[in-house]
Amino acid sequence: MKLILTGLLAGLLAATAARADEMVFTSWGGTTQEAQTKSWAAPFEASSGIKVLQDGPTDYGKLKAMVDAKNVTWDVVDVEMDFAIKAAKDGLLEPIDFAVVPKADLDPRFSNDHAVGSFYYSFVLAWNKGSVSGEPASWADMFDTKKFPGKRTFYKWSAPGVIEIALLADGVPADKLYPLDLDRAFKKLDTIKSDIVWWGGGAESQQLIASGEATFGQLWNGRVFALQQDGTDVGVSWNQNLTAADVLVVPKGAKNKDSAMKFLAAATSPTGQAKFAEASGYAPINTKAKGEMPAEVVKGLPDAHVDGQINLDMNYWAEHRDEIATRWYAWQTK
Amino acid sequence: MQGSSLRRGSIAGLTAGSGSALPALLLVGLFFIVPVVALLLRSVTDPEPGLQNYAALFGSGTYVRVFLNTFLVAAVVTAVTILVAFPVAWMLAIMPPAYGSIVFGIIILSMWTNLLTRTYAWMVLLQRTGVINRTLMGLGIIQEPLPLINNLAGVTIGMVYIMLPFMILPLVGTLRAIDPMTLRAAALCGASPFQAFRRILLPLSLPGIAAGGLMVFVMSLGYFVTPALLGGTSNMMLAEMIAQTVQSLLNWGLGSAAAFVLLVITMALYALQLRLVGARRTGGGL
Repeated sequence: MKLILTGLLAGLLAATAARADEMVFTSWGGTTQEAQTKSWAAPFEASSGIKVLQDGPTDYGKLKAMVDAKNVTWDVVDVEMDFAIKAAKDGLLEPIDFAVVPKADLDPRFSNDHAVGSFYYSFVLAWNKGSVSGEPASWADMFDTKKFPGKRTFYKWSAPGVIEIALLADGVPADKLYPLDLDRAFKKLDTIKSDIVWWGGGAESQQLIASGEATFGQLWNGRVFALQQDGTDVGVSWNQNLTAADVLVVPKGAKNKDSAMKFLAAATSPTGQAKFAEASGYAPINTKAKGEMPAEVVKGLPDAHVDGQINLDMNYWAEHRDEIATRWYAWQTK
Repeated sequence: MQGSSLRRGSIAGLTAGSGSALPALLLVGLFFIVPVVALLLRSVTDPEPGLQNYAALFGSGTYVRVFLNTFLVAAVVTAVTILVAFPVAWMLAIMPPAYGSIVFGIIILSMWTNLLTRTYAWMVLLQRTGVINRTLMGLGIIQEPLPLINNLAGVTIGMVYIMLPFMILPLVGTLRAIDPMTLRAAALCGASPFQAFRRILLPLSLPGIAAGGLMVFVMSLGYFVTPALLGGTSNMMLAEMIAQTVQSLLNWGLGSAAAFVLLVITMALYALQLRLVGARRTGGGL
């Protein structure tokens, strides 16, 4: 009996000791998390001796439940930026320790007190070359069912992007998008509602376009990049590309906060960002990263298409998230 | 008579059985009753005490629509599942056991394959550029692809396929218990095959249909993956809506209220079915 107890105690001690140099990183799975593991976690483990355990997918409900229950098992989480702004306001996040994480070279568009950029991306207009005659040139063409018949695919959930696309297509100038005119946006979306196929995740968007199930759609540029790498005949228009970002956050009460901050420093470093961008086609949020990347890759980044680029207003969305979502689902289920 | 006296057994008989049922009861209590109570509490306390979540739920056209959709889909799926399952179950019941076990094996085998895989397989088959539409268009039967996905048809096809074993299994049991001589007797008395089916087979198999139907209906009410992938947004079902409310909007109170209302409606349906089948049984048995 005594032996068992001693053994148990030793085991427990070992477990707590191991915990001290372990941390958990949570992201969205798939090719994105693979790239993050390869570009950030693996080199970080080698240089710091801190083991990075992978978990996922990111689930905002779970994050909130962990913080509420004061039992936080995630140390660094990849989230969408509008969520991060709202979560910080709701007290769900630890402030970033900028004594550990160098701030100077971070793109100020995608970092704030409670979040540092993970990567940024653009929504672009992509199409299956085999099933479109002619080349759609702007978001307005996605609403022109006469000139461009066929199904079009949009992001299913209430999130920055589709509303803005509808307004741009309806002729709202880019600098007059906010505050969003929801009535006008839904009215515009009504005109093509029966031609929309929704995609709920990146893989689904790729499948829809690659198979020609949807002739064209609003896609994440990284997903289009991956399709092109695979040799799929996909066209892409960067006209009015819409930027949004994923950010890295540390949930309030995270058990390995110090390790988490060190991890953030590594992930947002020029090298970490350059490697990830190369692997994923998403853009680095460290302004020095491009210096470490092959020119070929830099050409394919949203950074190469700043002409006509529009930054989706994450602060506006964080502020109006619930209100827009209510309207969004009411319209969608109608 | 013997059966009913057993059912109404003495108190001693009841408690004798409860000892071995205790672990199961504890399990249900701990992992079902406790969470349900927590859910109920959350729905009336989050973000503040009161019934505002329920007011929001019933005041929202979106939720009411999604509720109605959910019940519509579940009802359609149940009806179609019964229609498809009945002939299969009847065949299984009268087949020689050796063949029967092969067919049974095939039905069970489909349940061993991952649900997500099966749903994706249906996507490949049903989409506009999918196998079915391409074949039909290649044969010149149709000119335009049939809308088989992202709508009620897609959800129904995908879900009926998944639900079939849950209908067939209880139905086979009921059908096997029916004495085939009753059908022969009906035929001898001059009943047409349809009359024999309607007046003998159908009433006698009703408990199986009811049991399987209820299981399929209740399972369908809470289904998530298949409707999300094969349905369109205008057929959004409640599980998906609750997931959005909780995961993305972090509105646990409203999500809990929706889940609780669904649970109450489901239990009410179960109680109703118990009454109906119970009444039918005593009425028909004599």
